[in-house]
Amino acid sequence: MFSLFFESVRIAVDSILSNKIRSFLTGLSIIIGILTVTLMGTLISGLDRGFEKSMDFLGKDVLSISRWEWFGGQDWWEVRNRPRIRLEYVDKIKNRSKYAEAVAPVMQRGASLSRGDLGARSQIFGTTTEYLKTTNYGVETGRFFTNGEDRSGARVALLGYDVAENLFPNEDPIGKNFKIDGIRFRVLGVMEKQGKFLGLFSFDTQVIIPSGATQRLFSRRGFLRISVKIPDDKIEESKDEIYGIMRQIRGLKPTEKDDFAVNQTVAFENIYNSIKFAIGGVGIFITILSLVVGGIGIMNIMFVSVKERTKEIGVRKAIGATKNMILTQFLMEATMICVIGGLIGLSFAYILSLVINQFFPSTMPIWLAITSISLSIFVGITAGLIPSYKAAGLDPIDALRYE
Amino acid sequence: MSNLISLNQIKRHYDVGGELVKALDGIDVSIKPNEYISIMGPSGSGKSTLMNIIGCLDTPTDGTYQFEGELVHEMDDDQLASIRNRKIGFVFQTFNLLPRSTALRNVEVPLIYSNTPKAERLEIARSSLISVGLGDRLDHKPNELSGGQRQRVAIARALVNTPSIILADEPTGNLDSKSGIEIMKILYDLYTKGNTIILVTHEKEIAKHANRIITIFDGKIKEDRANENMIKAL
Ligand SMILES: Nc1ncnc2c1ncn2[C@@H]1O[C@H](COP(=O)(O)OP(=O)(O)OP(=O)(O)O)[C@@H](O)[C@H]1O
Ligand SMILES: [Mg+2]
Repeated sequence: MFSLFFESVRIAVDSILSNKIRSFLTGLSIIIGILTVTLMGTLISGLDRGFEKSMDFLGKDVLSISRWEWFGGQDWWEVRNRPRIRLEYVDKIKNRSKYAEAVAPVMQRGASLSRGDLGARSQIFGTTTEYLKTTNYGVETGRFFTNGEDRSGARVALLGYDVAENLFPNEDPIGKNFKIDGIRFRVLGVMEKQGKFLGLFSFDTQVIIPSGATQRLFSRRGFLRISVKIPDDKIEESKDEIYGIMRQIRGLKPTEKDDFAVNQTVAFENIYNSIKFAIGGVGIFITILSLVVGGIGIMNIMFVSVKERTKEIGVRKAIGATKNMILTQFLMEATMICVIGGLIGLSFAYILSLVINQFFPSTMPIWLAITSISLSIFVGITAGLIPSYKAAGLDPIDALRYE
Repeated sequence: MSNLISLNQIKRHYDVGGELVKALDGIDVSIKPNEYISIMGPSGSGKSTLMNIIGCLDTPTDGTYQFEGELVHEMDDDQLASIRNRKIGFVFQTFNLLPRSTALRNVEVPLIYSNTPKAERLEIARSSLISVGLGDRLDHKPNELSGGQRQRVAIARALVNTPSIILADEPTGNLDSKSGIEIMKILYDLYTKGNTIILVTHEKEIAKHANRIITIFDGKIKEDRANENMIKAL
């Protein structure tokens, strides 16, 4: 049995090699199909991991109160005319909410950082000590500021990982000074490395300072949002409560619409999922299309191959090949074209995944490689079946007589 | 001695567009081991059809066929394939080698189908080629060989599974006379070593190499006689 199997592999290889260009063109669709499916899978698994990580940092059980919905198609004029979110809401929410576990203001604005000759653009976050409870973002080295430092307006800061690298290359930044928009600050600590998500945003380029200093030094510019940590088993109740409190603060009548937004990372997730399904859908469509086209191509070329080798089939039968042996031979040839095409597609996908990896972390999962090769084998067998049956069923005398 | 082959009222009829073509119409032949038989007859008389039936490539429309006591006319495709592989060695007028494979590969193929282990297979194939004088052409492809050499590869291939009978349908038909004589020598040699041979030819001189000559005409046996003055191709 083994020698028969190797024989059919050998015949298949011979046949493919003696028709290199034809085999390549036939296998092209398979190459494209496998390339698409593996690349897409790699992309999605990379996205998933990046997304999970970013979501972890943001915290899934955190509400973010701001003027705008993160993802919404509201009327721009209506949103523009909404009142600002004010710092005193923080205490009001803290006092009135029974669910809120932590409430932190985040005053965000752009700023230039400098230290000697070194400089960088950055976003600065002015917040309170409760900030740490509203994210999973932690301090890597050094310490966070204290309530005392916040209240006294101390000019202290925590650096994002990349900021620390840029301003303090090869040295320990803790205790050292740098400037935010020309004003001197002292480094208390460095935040943990978060990495990029899709190259879109990263906490690593940000600087966190106390809200006290922010109000004194930079209060005129930037915008404020309020992060509220809620129990993860009471998300809906907490959300309702926060809406109620905000409406109360704003003095809205029951008929009036909300003039603020309560955002949740779930919103990110919904957007993310729709992006993911779009990529997946397009990818699967291209994959199926090219595999079907490839399969038809293979079937066609196998019919040609059977026709061309009718005489050979006759000879093989005359010297004792059974139907199954002929069937195996041609199935092997069809499968081989597909598997070689699949392997080529897979190698291309692997190389491309290394390129993609430069932008965000993505490695091709092993199961995907295995699945794609199985898929190639499946296409090969399916497409080769009818031509191979035709070959196996040929009458030996007719086949021998064929010129 | 018991019969190697016995054909009893073998018929092979074709229906060609409503018209019945009787390629074979009631053939009775018995063949004993180590006979050397020539089948003669004009073109279209049914020689190849008879050969194909004896060689288990074709099945009769009527009649019984026993090969070494087994009823061939009742066998299924796989059983027929197995008989062809182990018991019958074919030599065709047009050689019918696999064009892309070397001489050695061509001779190996029947052994692959009989599941012979690789080392043994190579050994048998090589010695079979040496026995037909092609020891120095093992790695040549058919298009790198002369007609006579190709036919010798075909004979080597026919011999590897030590068949009970060798069927040669016009083996010299595509060869010049010198190569033809070489092939006849090899066949005679095989006969003297105890093989059973059936040779189809329409040349009287070639037919005289056999010790029994069967003449067919219109699908029937016209004459079946021993050949006293057999030509010994030495
Ligand atoms: N597949 C077929 N369909 C219809 N008729 C056939 C078929 N095969 C053979 N015949 C007919 O059977 C008859 C015998 O053919 P066969 O090939 O046996 O002749 P032959 O004696 O070998 O002739 P030649 O010397 O030319 O090779 C011929 O009349 C041929 O037309
Ligand atoms: Mg003939």
